[in-house]
Amino acid sequence: MYAWIFRHLPGNTFWRVLQSLVLVAAVVAALFLWVFPAIAPYLTLLEGDPAVG
Amino acid sequence: MGGVGEILITLGVVLGLFVVWQLWWTSVEATAQAQQVMQEFEATLPPANPEPAELRTDAPPVPDPVGYGETIGTLIVPAWYGLTNNAMPIAEGTGMDVLDRAMAGRYETSQQVGDIGNFALAGHRRTHGNSFRHVDKLEKGDQIIVETATTWYVYEVTDHEIVTPDQVDVVAPVPHHPDEKPTERLLTLTTCHSLTLGEFGNDHRWITYATFVGWMDRADGTPEQVR
Repeated sequence: MYAWIFRHLPGNTFWRVLQSLVLVAAVVAALFLWVFPAIAPYLTLLEGDPAVG
Repeated sequence: MGGVGEILITLGVVLGLFVVWQLWWTSVEATAQAQQVMQEFEATLPPANPEPAELRTDAPPVPDPVGYGETIGTLIVPAWYGLTNNAMPIAEGTGMDVLDRAMAGRYETSQQVGDIGNFALAGHRRTHGNSFRHVDKLEKGDQIIVETATTWYVYEVTDHEIVTPDQVDVVAPVPHHPDEKPTERLLTLTTCHSLTLGEFGNDHRWITYATFVGWMDRADGTPEQVR
């Protein structure tokens, strides 16, 4: 999957690496800003008891 | 590398990122929100007289109740200077929407600051600003200071205990004796604690008790230990 994406990015290796980094950053940002806050209440690993913090 | 392997590695990386998010990023966000609340609160106040002044030991003024989520004042724990976000806002209520903004939340069933009874506060131990992370470093006699729009209230730590989460009568007017009539002015901090994971777990609660030692008008001065 990742190899397939990398092969289909345009440009030489330098540009492909740069685009890969941008894609990774976008995915991490989406996880941090939307996905993790949405699922955190269901993952009570550290917190989650609403009685006290 | 097969497709299944890639998916498993991706899941592992995402789980790792979740831990980074919870232990680091939630605090970055919450601390910024708490600082904004602090600035908005301080902007409404005249600056306190910076001179040290004698603590008064007569009955202190008791502030009027405020609505859920509204700012009551500031919590300053001098022993936490350099360790945590001192000072933090105190807001009304103990919902996650309050505590997740790195604020201390007042139990709505407890008393007002300075009043006879128990001014009980909840805060996160880890994540979302690590508000009360260093509660275990407090020793008998350490000051806990509350600043409201008009008044400094100074309390001193007397004791702590570790209880199970269902022991909610630690925030009663007389802790552990919900039917007794209070005679003392107390402050209680409650936060998460784990017997096995320490600050990282929430199977127990760390309760720190403090008793009122005095107050001063903000116009008269500032307690010595406030920086």
